[in-house]
Amino acid sequence: MRQRSLIAITAALAAGALTLTACGSRDDDGGSDSGNGGGGTTVVIGVDAPLTGDLSALGLGIKNSADLAAKTANKEKTVDGITFKVEALDDQGQPSVGQQNASSFVANKDVLGVVGPLNSSVGESMQKVFDTAKLVEVSPANTGPSLTQGPDWRNKKVRQYKSYFRTATTDAIQGPFAAQYVYNDAKKKKVFVIDDKKTYGAGLAATFTEEFKKLGGQVVGTEHINPDTKDFSSVATKVKNSGADVVYYGGEYPQAGPLSKQIKEAGAKIPLVGGDGIKDDTFIKLAGPASTGDLATSVGAPVEELPSAKKFVADYKAGGYKEDYAAYGGYSYDSAWAIIEAVKKVVGDNDGKLPDDARAKVTEAMQNVSFDGVTGKVSFDEFGDATNKQLTVYSVENGAFNDVKSGTYTG
Amino acid sequence: MTGIGPVEPGEDTRVRDTPPRPRGRLALRYDRHRRTVLASGAVLVVLAGGGYLYASRSQPQPAPPPPYPSQAVDLVYVAPATGSRGATAGAYSFTVLLSVRSGPPVTVTRLTQPYDGLSVTSSPAAPFQTKSHSARKIIVTLRVTECEKAPRNPGLPFLDVTLRNARAIEAHSFILGARYAQDLSRALEVACGNDSR
Repeated sequence: MRQRSLIAITAALAAGALTLTACGSRDDDGGSDSGNGGGGTTVVIGVDAPLTGDLSALGLGIKNSADLAAKTANKEKTVDGITFKVEALDDQGQPSVGQQNASSFVANKDVLGVVGPLNSSVGESMQKVFDTAKLVEVSPANTGPSLTQGPDWRNKKVRQYKSYFRTATTDAIQGPFAAQYVYNDAKKKKVFVIDDKKTYGAGLAATFTEEFKKLGGQVVGTEHINPDTKDFSSVATKVKNSGADVVYYGGEYPQAGPLSKQIKEAGAKIPLVGGDGIKDDTFIKLAGPASTGDLATSVGAPVEELPSAKKFVADYKAGGYKEDYAAYGGYSYDSAWAIIEAVKKVVGDNDGKLPDDARAKVTEAMQNVSFDGVTGKVSFDEFGDATNKQLTVYSVENGAFNDVKSGTYTG
Repeated sequence: MTGIGPVEPGEDTRVRDTPPRPRGRLALRYDRHRRTVLASGAVLVVLAGGGYLYASRSQPQPAPPPPYPSQAVDLVYVAPATGSRGATAGAYSFTVLLSVRSGPPVTVTRLTQPYDGLSVTSSPAAPFQTKSHSARKIIVTLRVTECEKAPRNPGLPFLDVTLRNARAIEAHSFILGARYAQDLSRALEVACGNDSR
């Protein structure tokens, strides 16, 4: 009798304990690593970005966001039988390093797609390497128009590489968008234009200048800076003496911050305006309190405004990443997810397995990828450009970037 | 410290039997009601587990909030309005198509353009509402008020629209593209071409 009682109570306790254990484990795999995926075959998504140096705040946000996409796909078993893994290489913002990284990704047969890079100049150096290997590349941040539409994009758009896609919109829209805001909304009529002579910076400054002049604005001075220095005092003096009521800078925040600060210190209390390359909190730190009123345009609508972005922001936080997702986080997640969707299509069309020519097939599938991403509808036009073309103007207020106006290109 | 350890039992010694300690009242009561106690424990565990399961049962997801109006609306340039190609008496009319892709109905509360020297009217006049998954054509008319201030040749001109739905009210710019820019420039050229600016 006593034994029977013991057996009964042991069984009841065990059942209770098991029940509680089962309940407790329901959500315990939130921090799953990429190994908890859909099964046997591992597909590597390469990430190329500046992971060290001045631009690493943006680069690490790209890497982490792509990593989150891979983990999410593994957790949700988005592609049955496939486990996604992210391998990231540091291009240091240098085209030559980016090209070496492209060769490394090509040499790794498990890599079926690459997210990146950040810089348009780096992107240029990688395109041919990837295209020769039919390895698809989706940049979340390249905005130089020529990457997709060719060097004569103003007159005749010609697609350059079938393996190149991007989720960010281009400077063909960003520059004019900034010019329209500066001229019409901010009512600035005399601009001093500065760039860093790089593909991105010079290109953006050119598209801004063209539109600003068309609107009736006056360019009262132009200068190029050396991005390897931080002493811009002579340029700042020229700005002060030019009578400009606004400065437009084509370049990135490591130079834009000190430039803004030194222009104000020289006595020109006028706003500095830049593109997505300066829209990082580091700009505000470098520029100091005088940066209040400076403006930056950036690709996309404010992430917080997109219903799809709410989950991304929460998942990123839960993912425990040390660095902020920064300006391109949503676009990087969507770039990685575009690769995942293309892999899913290829696997689905091949009886649930990767075909021998998986890279070529994934590149082909990318053209028709379409899904609701973090940044809105993600799909690509005939040039490989994002069909979703939104931009936002941000203003520095109280030590942070606040969105002031958004626009959508629907041409 | 004496250096002498505890006395161990030897050949002719033995450990004294210690009498069993008398069982406490609680133990005695437990002996008497063992089955009841065990059964009650089991019931408690099962109840606790059930309660936990009930408390942590999957709740129906609350409906997601509607999208921001700017994320639910498309506004595209169609063409110059019939019979108004070019500028007529300093006015230029064109058609845009406003579509609401998702979410609740969207009301256009204001439609403006950002350029000095131009004014804008629309038909229908704001405010007007468009239901979800439907589209409506709007005729927009720009009038040149001052050629000196009107844009010369805008590359990517905006149309600024204030949108409202159940989620928010937002001012949003629509950049209608190269075709609109060309048509607008042509109309401005006709309207202000002889102007001396």
